[in-house]
Amino acid sequence: MAVPEVTLTHLNRADGSATYTHNGYSIIGAVNGPIEVSRRDEMPEEATLEVNVRPAVGVGSPKERHLESLLHNTLRSIILTRMMPRTLVQITLQVRSLPEEDEATGVNSTLTILPHLLHTSLLALLSASIPLLTTLTSLLIAVPTSSAPIISPTSTELLRAGPLQAVHVFAFAGDRRLLLNESDGAFSYDEWEEACEMAEEVCCSGGEGGVKLEGEGMDVDAQDGNLEEWLRGVVRRKVDWEQRWKKGT
Amino acid sequence: MATSTQSQPPALTFPRPIFAAVSPHPFLQAHLSADKRTPQRANGRTAHNSRRPGVNTGSLTHANGSAVVRLGNTSVVCGVRAEILREEDISGSSDFAVPTTPSDTDDQDGSKEIDVLRLVVPNVELSTGSTPSHIPGNAPSTYQQSLITRIRSLLLSTNLLRAKDLRILYTPTTNPDDPDEEPETQIKGYWVLYVDVFFISVDGSAFDAAWIGILAALRDTKLPRAWYDEEFEGILCSDDPAEATTLQLRGLPVPATFAVFEGQAEDGIEGDKDWILSDPDAFEEGVCRESVCVVVDGKKSVRRIEKSGGGVVGRDGMRELVRRAGERWSEVEQVLGGKA
Repeated sequence: MAVPEVTLTHLNRADGSATYTHNGYSIIGAVNGPIEVSRRDEMPEEATLEVNVRPAVGVGSPKERHLESLLHNTLRSIILTRMMPRTLVQITLQVRSLPEEDEATGVNSTLTILPHLLHTSLLALLSASIPLLTTLTSLLIAVPTSSAPIISPTSTELLRAGPLQAVHVFAFAGDRRLLLNESDGAFSYDEWEEACEMAEEVCCSGGEGGVKLEGEGMDVDAQDGNLEEWLRGVVRRKVDWEQRWKKGT
Repeated sequence: MATSTQSQPPALTFPRPIFAAVSPHPFLQAHLSADKRTPQRANGRTAHNSRRPGVNTGSLTHANGSAVVRLGNTSVVCGVRAEILREEDISGSSDFAVPTTPSDTDDQDGSKEIDVLRLVVPNVELSTGSTPSHIPGNAPSTYQQSLITRIRSLLLSTNLLRAKDLRILYTPTTNPDDPDEEPETQIKGYWVLYVDVFFISVDGSAFDAAWIGILAALRDTKLPRAWYDEEFEGILCSDDPAEATTLQLRGLPVPATFAVFEGQAEDGIEGDKDWILSDPDAFEEGVCRESVCVVVDGKKSVRRIEKSGGGVVGRDGMRELVRRAGERWSEVEQVLGGKA
């Protein structure tokens, strides 16, 4: 499994930003917050969250609204909104490009893009230093009718896999809780559980959610494609960059 | 009485509705934790108890199929209107040929045909005053658009409709190219189903109500016999109700919505406890953040799981919810079965 490519904090007018590229999906995320909230949306005890998803082509459709509400629900559960009452955290996600075969796979495109949107918004939130309860990693699993499940398939793999029995999207928190699940197709509970275990394996690192000790070596490449390792690597590079002056002396 | 309370502050008591309005979360928690063994919700139901749907089909005269569904105070009208889409009005309909084997094997293609040609068009409308959060006169809200997306994708992913039922075929009497050969059957048009869901009032579990309404309305839908008339060079419909056909739906997927109520520890006396409420009403939906929707067809086959908003329901929790959704399926099947 290829590891996503990330550029953090590259937009200098937003409080936090990230560009994320994986499997042909490229998304720019920007976060502004905490900022002033309009009177109508103001909540006395917590921050308001606003998510905007803009498609690669054209204006937003009901599909984008649905994605927004999924992202809103999920991110609201990991952002410490009670630490910033009566403010607004605004997340804008612009889909920059989709793989060419995206339409042809016949898979619900809400599901294929959802993990990427979740990752982008999390990275942008990290870049903006919004207080978070935990991190999040997400994954798509496709189960073809006649072969083994494919983890995080590319569109070409989906095309080649033939008829699919089920498609699952899972998102796990840093403490291995299942934050989001969207499953589609026809499957039994046991098949779902199997897919869920498989996703947890890839999304969460082997350690017990704590900080993993990894010697003094600075080069951490997520060789086994573990998403939490990858996320830790991204954050480590960000922190290293921010502290380069302190370290240089 | 007055003198005795003088020394100590007066007890702070509210009537029930004010308690609910002022602090909804503790209100529901107080209800649920009052009885340890069978926690009761503010609406008098137990955590596992869902509202029995009331279904009435065929109440609209001008629709091809219709249903009125009540789920407690959630009431919804669903109408199916069929219109003819002529072959010459579609760009690229030649992609879909008439299947040579008249069998059930056109599962995949049929679903794609319905998707690409948009042969089923769901729409959701909230009436004025159906829910306090809905402001009339505005563009459809995120909530509405999200509902439409979920309904449409479920309609397509469950392959509920058969493309075969919607095709209008025509077999010429003679083959124009070669009079000796068998004439080829062509697609001359399609029935397009406009599925309109109108909420009279929303009191939680809007998706469940809408979907049950759609199921009942589609089962009630009668399409008149349509044929291509050679002399008229157009599609004609029969006026005879005896010739009309009903739609053959695939399976009976039934959704069950659950809301997760996360209890907050009070003074550390009571540990965090979570309740999973079946078929939440609007008040409960407002208090609960995490929601799970499980669509099952039969007791075992899961067609869709949607879960977002929190991390309480894990793998084991989901096993329980799939079981509860199976129970719900039997209940809804019974209600719908009596009408079909």
